[in-house]
Amino acid sequence: MSKTFLGFRRGHGPAGVRNGIAVISVMDNCNPATRAIAQAVDATLAVTTSFVRGQFGADLEFALDSLAGLGRNPNIAGVLLVGLEESSTEEVARRIRPAGKPVEVVHLQPNGTIECVAQGTRLAARMVRQASQMRRQPCPMSDLVMGVECGGSDTTSGLSCNPTIGRAADRLIDAGGTVIISETSEFIGAEHLFAARAVDATVRQAFLNAVQGMEAMAVARGVDMRDSQPAPDNKRGGLSTVEEKALGALAKAGKSPLVGVLSYGQAPARKGLHFMDAPSGAVENLTGLAAGGCQLICFGTGVGNPIGNMVAPTIKICGNVNTVHSMRDNIDFDVSAIFESSAKIADLGDQLYDYVAEVGSGTRISSEILNIRETAVSRFERSL
Amino acid sequence: MLTSSYIGVFNIMPRGIILHTADNVATLIDPARDGQTCTLQGEVAGQVIARQDIAFGHKICIAPIPLGANVLKYGQVIGRATRAIAAGEHAHVHNVDSARARGDRQERQEVRP
Repeated sequence: MSKTFLGFRRGHGPAGVRNGIAVISVMDNCNPATRAIAQAVDATLAVTTSFVRGQFGADLEFALDSLAGLGRNPNIAGVLLVGLEESSTEEVARRIRPAGKPVEVVHLQPNGTIECVAQGTRLAARMVRQASQMRRQPCPMSDLVMGVECGGSDTTSGLSCNPTIGRAADRLIDAGGTVIISETSEFIGAEHLFAARAVDATVRQAFLNAVQGMEAMAVARGVDMRDSQPAPDNKRGGLSTVEEKALGALAKAGKSPLVGVLSYGQAPARKGLHFMDAPSGAVENLTGLAAGGCQLICFGTGVGNPIGNMVAPTIKICGNVNTVHSMRDNIDFDVSAIFESSAKIADLGDQLYDYVAEVGSGTRISSEILNIRETAVSRFERSL
Repeated sequence: MLTSSYIGVFNIMPRGIILHTADNVATLIDPARDGQTCTLQGEVAGQVIARQDIAFGHKICIAPIPLGANVLKYGQVIGRATRAIAAGEHAHVHNVDSARARGDRQERQEVRP
């Protein structure tokens, strides 16, 4: 069993599994300049965002914190912020600076796109050159914060890939690491089982408030959740109800006690298993996990969902033999042997744990190689 | 890591997984045709004859479920039968209904503590 991975040490904080320079849009209208800079400079990651301009109150805080959290992620060696004007850019910059990494800024006002992109390209190129001087070093597995996620779920998800992820999650927590599970609406019908694992009444109540709050919102608005949970592709894959989906989704969390509840994009303050209150859509969910500091994400899929996160390498795990064949370019870790040749979930989970250490040490995965990566910070209210 | 081979439709006896002794549905890990005998494995072993074609990954009823009764998988309630379901029938959205987050019903469902 892996005891270390080869990571990039970041001062006193946890080590990164990648060493990219993040080019981050401070708001939606900066995305084209952000993409132009990232396109021009190798080893940069374009982190774009919808909205921010016109957002207010708690929603704006979530947006700024999440963008900053992506910049603070240990996988990022340095950050170039692309903003419209100084004051809003500074709002994000001041949230990243405590992480102790280089933060540079460029603005579209007053000199326009060409000047902004030229200046940003030069700064990003300089940061990449500097970051490339860093070398991987052995780091304890306890440095890892791993997200667990599922998407394009079917009935094999709950029976094979999610329990395999759960086994790897337990291994990581045994090694002193941290695991975050999220997707609040996907706990409806199974929340009583997960709540029973909370370390104390405060954590239990915070978790139940999140799930029951989500359900109460759906009921209050007259939503028939059957239309979206399970989603049409989930139903095609054999999932009938949100309860059935939840019981399978829960398996990703392994068997460890629940030690903390996080808001969207919030980083855990301690080791162990955490729950993050976040929407179930893969792109915005992965964004929340990466903003919360996950360096890696194990993503179980059944009928197939190819998307990955820009900042946190997203390992695609599949137990459906048909999908493993039809979407083979998108699957990183095949667990279909659980059904096809009676492989043990425990053994494959241990192998997945070792694979996590390999990916953590630099082995590249499909969403990185094919660059099928997206960012979307959740939006909870209207804009002004 | 891609190692498995496609078996699917050529399998002679479709296999179903039973996850808990209390369950009244099994998950098929092969497609089943009408009239085919399915082997059941997992927490309980046995056989059930499919009464219709059922797709890979879908559930087959393994014990009669009366109208309104709980459908059980993982030993947990995954919904209620919207009509009587006979052993061998496909158990899915056409005869199993979620009891949770039903704003369309106009009444707040009780949430388990």
